[in-house]
Amino acid sequence: MTAPVAVAGIRRWVRRTQSAHRDGRETLGNVYFAALFVLIVGGMVHKQIAAVVWPGTPNASLLAGGSLVLIITGGLYLTLRRLGPLALSRPAASWLLTAPVSRRRLLLPSLWVALLGAAVAGAVGGLAVLGHVAARPVPGADALLPLVGALLGGALLLVALGAQADRWWSAWSDNAAYLLIAVGLAGLVVDSAVGAPRADQGWPAEPVVTTLAGALAVVVIVLLLLAVRRLAATPNERIMEAAKTSGTLFDSAYGMEPSFVTEMVERRYWARRKLRSRRLWRRVPVLVAQDLLLLRRRPRRLLWVAAATTLPAALLADAPGWLLGLAVLIGGLMAGGVTAGTIRTDAGNPMLLRLLGLSSRTAISQRLWVPGVLCGLWYAATLGLLQGLGDLPAGPWWALGLALGPVGAAATMRKSRVGFVDNGLTPVDTPMGSLSTGPLINAVAGLDVLLLGLPTIVQLAQGGPLSWTGVVVQAAVAVIGARAYLSATTEPDRVELSGKR
Amino acid sequence: MDQSAIKVRDLSVSYGSTPVLVAVHLTVPVGAGVCVTGENGIGKSTLLRCVASLQRADAGEIRVFGRPPGSTPEFWRAVVTTVEPPTWYPGLTAREHAELVCRAHGLDPAAAGLDETLERFGIAGHADAIPPSLSSGQKQRLTLALSLLRPSRLLILDEPEQRLDPEGRAMVAGLLRDYLAAGGTVLMASHDDAFAAAAGTGMVSMADLHAVAAP
Repeated sequence: MTAPVAVAGIRRWVRRTQSAHRDGRETLGNVYFAALFVLIVGGMVHKQIAAVVWPGTPNASLLAGGSLVLIITGGLYLTLRRLGPLALSRPAASWLLTAPVSRRRLLLPSLWVALLGAAVAGAVGGLAVLGHVAARPVPGADALLPLVGALLGGALLLVALGAQADRWWSAWSDNAAYLLIAVGLAGLVVDSAVGAPRADQGWPAEPVVTTLAGALAVVVIVLLLLAVRRLAATPNERIMEAAKTSGTLFDSAYGMEPSFVTEMVERRYWARRKLRSRRLWRRVPVLVAQDLLLLRRRPRRLLWVAAATTLPAALLADAPGWLLGLAVLIGGLMAGGVTAGTIRTDAGNPMLLRLLGLSSRTAISQRLWVPGVLCGLWYAATLGLLQGLGDLPAGPWWALGLALGPVGAAATMRKSRVGFVDNGLTPVDTPMGSLSTGPLINAVAGLDVLLLGLPTIVQLAQGGPLSWTGVVVQAAVAVIGARAYLSATTEPDRVELSGKR
Repeated sequence: MDQSAIKVRDLSVSYGSTPVLVAVHLTVPVGAGVCVTGENGIGKSTLLRCVASLQRADAGEIRVFGRPPGSTPEFWRAVVTTVEPPTWYPGLTAREHAELVCRAHGLDPAAAGLDETLERFGIAGHADAIPPSLSSGQKQRLTLALSLLRPSRLLILDEPEQRLDPEGRAMVAGLLRDYLAAGGTVLMASHDDAFAAAAGTGMVSMADLHAVAAP
C-alpha cells in the first residue's frame, strides 16, 4: 500500500514545474494586462457600481429592503450550490483527488477561498441593503450590517457545503432558497403597489444588528468546525462535478463563450431528471409537438418565467418609459428561451434535422410557435400587471403584449441560432483599447430583432394612453418583421439552419 | 437511363499539403451494397463525407441519384448517413427521438414498427432514457435504429459495426441485408470483413479506388 504523502509538497512541486515551463515575461505580461483590465473597467464603471450599492440618498422602503435581503440570501445560496461550493481545479480533481494525500488538507484551501468569496458577496449585499434603506447619516454600530451580511454569506456557504454531500438536503435547501427569492419578489411587488414606508432615522437598530452579528458568528464557528471535521467525507463525484463547473466557467470567461455554461446547465438538468416517454401530440406540426413536450417537462422554469412578469413592476415602475419598454422587451426572451434548447441543438449540429428531412424554413416556422405564444403571454401579463398597479395609462396593454409575441419569438430564434463566438473577426480600436467584435455580435444577437418592438417603446416613452390603432401598428410590424426574418434566414430548399455550408 | 445511385469521378481531397484522396472513382448501382475497406487514414471516411455532401472536394465530380449531393430536403429525405454523430435534443427520450423521426416523415410510429425496432436493437429497456445517458454502444444502436426506421433510398454508414457486441453486429448486418433486398443502396466503410459479408455488401479496397480508371 502506498504511504500518504504531504499534499503541500506536491502542490509546491506542481507550481515550480509549471513556472519552469513558463516564460517569465509572459507571466508578467498576463499580470500587467489583468491589472490594466481591472483598472480600466473599474475606472469606467466605479461610479455606477457606487450608485448601485450606495446611492446618495436612501431610495427603498423597509419592505423593499427586507425583500432584497431575502432575494440576496436565496440568490447567493443557489449560486454557491451551482458552483459546488467546494471545488478543485480540473487538473487537481483528476490527479490529486485520486492520489494518496490527506483529503482534508487537499480541500481546506478551497474551503477558505469559498468562505472568503461568500463573505465578500454577503458583505456587498449587506452594504447595498444598508445603502438603499438606511437614512443618512448612518451611525457607527448600525453600520455593521455589511458584517452581518459577511457572516450570513459564510453561514450560507457552510450550509451549501453540507448540501454538497447530501442529495436529500441539497434538494430541500434549494427549494427553500427558491421560496425565499419568490417571497422577496412578492415583497418588491407589494412595495411597488402600496408604497411602503421608508426606514426611520436610526435603522437598523444597534441592538438588533449586534445581536444578529453575534448569533451568526456563533453559527458560523459551529458550522465551520463541523465542516472541517467532515471535509474529507465530501463525495468524490460532487467535487469532480464542481471541478467541471469551475473549469467550464473559466473556459467560458477565457473564450468569452457563454454557450459553454448554457450547455452545461442544460445537460446537468436533464441528466438529473427521470423521464417517461410520452406520445407527441398529433394535431400540431411535429416540431411544435416536440416543443410542447419540452414545455410540459419544465414546470418549474415556467413558474419562474411567470414570476418574472412581476420584475418590471417591482424594479422599474418609476423608470423612464423607454427604459421600461426596453427592459420588458428583453425580459420576454426569458419566456421564449424555455424551449430554445431544441434550436440551439439544430444550429450547433444539423444531423438530426437531416435525419428528419425538414427544410430550414419548415423547421424555423414550426419552432417559432411555442416561443411566440409564451412571449405573447409574458408580455401581456407584464404590461397588464403594470397597468393594474397604476404604472401605465389607460388602454388595451394586454393586447399590445400579445401583439409583441412574434417579436419575442423571432428574437429568441436569432439569439439561439447565433452559435459559437467568432473570435476571428477584426477587432475594433477604441480610445479604451481594442474591442473584440465576435463576443459583441453574439451579445447583441436577438436584441437587434427586438427593435421590431419600437412602436411599444415609443408608446411607453410618450406616456400617453394606448389606442387600438397602436396595438394594430405593433401587431403589423411584429408579424411583417417575423416573416421577413423567416424569409431572410431560411430557405425552402436548404436543411441546415446556417447558410454557410 | 443511369442506374447509378452513386457516381464518383476523379475525386481529390487534401488536408493541407497531405493528399488523402487522389482521383478516386467509384460507382454504386441502385440496389447494391458496397463496403469500402482499408487501413486507418486512407480516406474512407473522407470519401463517405464527400458523397454525403458534408465535405467539399478539391476536385472531381460526385453524383447521387444523378444529381450533385446537396443540402436540400429532397436529398436528405433520400439519404441517411451516420458519418457524423448526432447531437441529441434536450429533454427528449430515446423513444421520443424515434417517434419524432417517424412523424417528420409522415409515418405512424406504430405502423412504422417503432417499438419492434427498439426491441430488435436491444434498446427497448432504455426507451425512457435520454440518449446522452446511454453507453456508446447503445447510442450507436439508437442512431442505427433511427436511420433504419425512416424511409430512405441510400444509407451511408461509417463503420456501423463499431462499439457493437457480436450479437448486435449480426443483427445490424441482417437488417442491412433486408434493406438491400428491399431495393435500398448501401455505401459503408468498415474494418470487419465478416460483418460486410453478412450484410451482403461487396467489398472494395480504398487503395483500388485510387487506381480504377474512369470507363
